[in-house]
Amino acid sequence: MQSLHETENVFIKNGVMVVEKMDIIVCVKHVPDTAEAEVTIDPSGRDIKKEGLPFDINEWDNYAIEEALLLKEKHGGKVTVITVGPEEYNETLRKCLAKGADEAIRLYDESFKGSDGYTTAKILYSAIKNMKFDLILTGAMAGDDGYAQVGVTLAEMLGIPHASLVKKVEVKDGWVKVNRELEGGLEEVAEVKLPAVLAIQTGINEPRYVSIAGIRRAAKKEIKVLGLAELGLSKEEVGELGSPTRLERLFIPEVTKKVEFLTGDPSEVASKLANVLKEKGVL
Amino acid sequence: MVEVLVLAEHRKGELRDITFEMLTGARKICDKIGADLTVALLGFNVKEFAKELADYAKQVLIVEDERIKEFNSEAYQKILAKIIGERKPLLVMIGHTAIGMDLAPSLATSLNIPLTTDCIGLDFKDGKLYAIRQIYSGKVNAEITFKDAETYMVTIRSGAFQPEKPEPPMGGGIINIPSPLTDEDFAVKKFVEYVEEAKGEIDISAADIVVSVGRGIKDAKNIPLVEEFAKAVGGVLACSRPIVDKGWLPKDRQVGISGKTVKPKLYIAVGISGAFQHLAGIKGSGVIIAVNKDPKAPIFRVADYGIVDDLFKVIPVLKDKILELKGK
Amino acid sequence: MAEQEILQRLNLLACMQCGICSGSCPITVKAPLNIRRIIRELVLTRKLPKHKEEYIWGCTTCSTCEVRCPRELKPYELLIDIRNWLVEEGEVPVNIRDALESVYKHGNPWGRARSKRSEWAEGLNLKQPTQGEKISLLYFVGCAPAYDSRVQEVAKALVKIFGKMDEDFRFLGNDETCCGSEIYSMGEKGLFEWLVEENQNLFNKYAIDLMVTTSPHCFNIFKTRYPEIKFEVQHYTQYLCNQLEKGKLKFQEKFEATVTYHDPCFLGKRNNIFEEPRKILETIPGIKFVEMPRNKAQSLCCEGGGGRMWYDLPGERLAEARIMEAESTGAEIIVTSCPFCLINLEDAVKTTGKEEKIKVMDLAEIVAQTI
Repeated sequence: MQSLHETENVFIKNGVMVVEKMDIIVCVKHVPDTAEAEVTIDPSGRDIKKEGLPFDINEWDNYAIEEALLLKEKHGGKVTVITVGPEEYNETLRKCLAKGADEAIRLYDESFKGSDGYTTAKILYSAIKNMKFDLILTGAMAGDDGYAQVGVTLAEMLGIPHASLVKKVEVKDGWVKVNRELEGGLEEVAEVKLPAVLAIQTGINEPRYVSIAGIRRAAKKEIKVLGLAELGLSKEEVGELGSPTRLERLFIPEVTKKVEFLTGDPSEVASKLANVLKEKGVL
Repeated sequence: MVEVLVLAEHRKGELRDITFEMLTGARKICDKIGADLTVALLGFNVKEFAKELADYAKQVLIVEDERIKEFNSEAYQKILAKIIGERKPLLVMIGHTAIGMDLAPSLATSLNIPLTTDCIGLDFKDGKLYAIRQIYSGKVNAEITFKDAETYMVTIRSGAFQPEKPEPPMGGGIINIPSPLTDEDFAVKKFVEYVEEAKGEIDISAADIVVSVGRGIKDAKNIPLVEEFAKAVGGVLACSRPIVDKGWLPKDRQVGISGKTVKPKLYIAVGISGAFQHLAGIKGSGVIIAVNKDPKAPIFRVADYGIVDDLFKVIPVLKDKILELKGK
Repeated sequence: MAEQEILQRLNLLACMQCGICSGSCPITVKAPLNIRRIIRELVLTRKLPKHKEEYIWGCTTCSTCEVRCPRELKPYELLIDIRNWLVEEGEVPVNIRDALESVYKHGNPWGRARSKRSEWAEGLNLKQPTQGEKISLLYFVGCAPAYDSRVQEVAKALVKIFGKMDEDFRFLGNDETCCGSEIYSMGEKGLFEWLVEENQNLFNKYAIDLMVTTSPHCFNIFKTRYPEIKFEVQHYTQYLCNQLEKGKLKFQEKFEATVTYHDPCFLGKRNNIFEEPRKILETIPGIKFVEMPRNKAQSLCCEGGGGRMWYDLPGERLAEARIMEAESTGAEIIVTSCPFCLINLEDAVKTTGKEEKIKVMDLAEIVAQTI
């Protein structure tokens, strides 16, 4: 693998020599927002009905692209966004371009449908292995399927180190110092040698706003689309055929614990609740 | 003999709950398919843990090395790849935690093992492994199957299984495995230190009554509404993750896996839909009351009492009612 | 040059730096906003004053500066242009960012799903129009009345009033989209243009005679910045006043209370609608109407306009001062006719601890109780 560190990692900013110009790849996903939606299962039984749901960049990826842009502003370099998905995913790529990403790549073939986390990483790998980069950022997980698998898998395929659940990034001397979010309000500080993959956790920064005019301007920028052949993949290696796991069926979870709903207007509800609290001796 | 291998998780001198939760889940599977339960313990000066774990498993594999006093995914991967390669367990279980998320995907990839993550249920039917996991923030469950393989790997969500100690204790044997690590294994990733979130004046994990506010509050300026309600019930104000991400309340008020675990007598969730990472942080609570507009919000699956209404309508009335009662 | 265009569009070379604008700006008590100086900066340097301070977002676009300007300028429009620059730079306060993103994604600034927009109307049997339908009255609900539980009461009151008057009205249900008034004021002009296009395309599907809005903000923007709207747009106070004059609106019940009226900026100062709401109030039997010292064009802003529903400026809220003022008149109820005023004044009643002294009501709620 080629990294910029071996070649041209010095540039001048405000008359000061700055080292470690960063070429960063950010992997993003276009996901439906189901926060308030009544989720129903489609006739295939293996997907949800997505008509009428608004789509947007995956929340974690939104922090990842922001972090990449902050690093670029600090160190110089280039940010490339990459996604695996159909044409609708351009919307998320354009949003990233409008925010300041330099290039966008979309990987797509009909046969990608049904790819699991491993295979999605493999598709990304087949494109990224030929690219120059110092750092790859992904979201720590996706808000739709929540596998939290692609970034770390991709690192292993590329043969480079990784860190997940990253809440702070500092690049210095060919290493990146990260804070990883652990359980119970604890963080771990770790150092990872570049090039590396970092899976970004929400809250690491404050994602910038991108104006509609900006998105419209970005619509003129080129989005490179790579298919099966360009990626050197075969149908057997991707989608359901190529995936080690398969989503067999979806079902709406049963209520395991019976909740008692207190109904009525707010004052009736308040009285009922007050009775409960008295009964339970917590008030 | 068929084997199920569980990775023990520990940090700062304590075995983590997820270890016992996984061992309980794994034991049920072992009973069903007639497999041996093995637990792998990696660390340094962890012999005491091995003794404790021996009660839960047929055998405890222990690898000690001063360099893995703290978790390091590169080093763990090397050790586990060796153990899995040699023992070829049918199933490997790792927590879907900060450790598991940093380890399982690369470990599985390096060994070419099918992996699915964040499972809340597992079953073997006719020799085939089925995993259940939640998607779309808990609104839908998915059943996952695997391509035939010698070994499968899953990561398990915190709280998916209730920990139970086997009766009688299993009295497993402790097997020491020499560390295969060299300094080379730490050439690209190094643990530096832990940093603790600065402790605030209020310790939500010690409170008897916790009132938590979530995304439903819409705006930082509405938080006093819930804060006053918390005061009225004699509780402390806490929150879900988005509120901290937005900077509306400090991190030490956050309930959930990445925040604090709370076990109050009374937990009131206001405008919280109930992402799993939040639910896992309240599972030891006494009475759980939830106020949310969406009757299908996952929080109602764990709540004892639910109020389906707009929090802005309900909370002021509840507050007044409670103050009135207290006045009497 | 963008600067040249702004100078011309806003006619700012006519400014004689008299300082009446900054002198009458209600925000100056809370933030170092000096609009006269900012105009001077632009005129002098011929460069957009690139201020990033929070006071740029403090302006409520109440238009007091415009009302008082002897040269008939709109000073606050320059702040909107500065906001537009900040928006294009991506330097937007977090809550405003979320509101803007929500409008693009969900069609409302409150972060709520589009599929829940008409939830408030469940069980009311409201009708949505079919393609090409001739609509004598289209009720444009607005985002706050659709989603805010308090303001939903106002929407329900208006539905009751329409019903009493046998209006065969229509509403747009979940197809209704943000009017863009606040989006324009927050400086997201690209998003605003997109909304205008979306809304005009939607309205063009029907043959609308009259649109009535809950909010003065929707009313104002449809009147002033939707060039293709050919039908009549009225705020509900105008509509009710017309019905009163026609003898269609009749009051059956008494409403025994001393009330005062708070003029919403976007109805009063922006559109000179001062008399209609007063006429309705004074006709309702039982009402004793009193004026506040600051009334009509002198009305004090509640701090709800200009995107300020999503951006808080520290310090005493003007709405709190307004509640004190209302109380001093002896009024038991302060009536208004704008969702933002209703929300802010009600908050102020609570923060000043005046719950026992004074109540906030929307004019539509009183009408619905008395017809």
